[in-house]
Amino acid sequence: MAERPEDLNLPNAVITRIIKEALPDGVNISKEARSAISRAASVFVLYATSCANNFAMKGKRKTLNASDVLSAMEEMEFQRFVTPLKEALEAYRREQKGKKEASEQKKKDKDKKTDSEEQDKSRDEDNDEDEERLEEEEQNEEEEEVDN
Amino acid sequence: MAAVAAAGSGTPREEEGPGGEAAAPQPQAPTNAPGARLSRLPLARVKALVKADPDVTLAGQEAIFILARAAELFVETIAKDAYCCAQQGKRKTLQRRDLDNAIEAVDEFAFLEGTLD
Repeated sequence: MAERPEDLNLPNAVITRIIKEALPDGVNISKEARSAISRAASVFVLYATSCANNFAMKGKRKTLNASDVLSAMEEMEFQRFVTPLKEALEAYRREQKGKKEASEQKKKDKDKKTDSEEQDKSRDEDNDEDEERLEEEEQNEEEEEVDN
Repeated sequence: MAAVAAAGSGTPREEEGPGGEAAAPQPQAPTNAPGARLSRLPLARVKALVKADPDVTLAGQEAIFILARAAELFVETIAKDAYCCAQQGKRKTLQRRDLDNAIEAVDEFAFLEGTLD
């Protein structure tokens, strides 16, 4: 993608929702302010990524991991984020584990039935499977793309 | 029978707080635990931002997830800080200048200076 990093905005609807839930009832936000916050969030991610990458390189690793990001938060003076992020990470790991076990179970069941026909059918199925596939695909993507 | 009971209870299910879950569409799969909105920002977009950095080789899924969650916390934080400025002006609408003021006033937001134009 030949887009500038600053153009990679996060979805407006989600940003708006987060803002509204953070503020008291009845408080509004102008379009300019909202889009500025959205850009700020993108800049935040870019900055955090860069910081986290430094930690990864220090550890002689090529892959950013969760602890790199947490260290970046501290470096950026957002220590107050660290605790809620750790909790979120725990919950995320539990959820991933659950998903993985669920999909492994599904695979086992499918093997019991038929082979290719079932696989083709499952591809066209629901979005939830799509999401899992997305994650798997993303993982494959990560492994393929060595240099950007 | 059930209908009568429901009518009898009177008020519709009203949740405290802004918005609540009623209107929010759930893009997540039903396999998730109820109410486990772990992150609202789409991970794919966050990942695109991460990959925009030429120095980054790879990023694990957990890292992407935490970045997404951190970005949400950041949005909440900056919105609240900007709101303090608006309150002083007795306004109920956050304006761009409130944001600029917050960025200038709060050390942690220094990295944003000059980036939002």
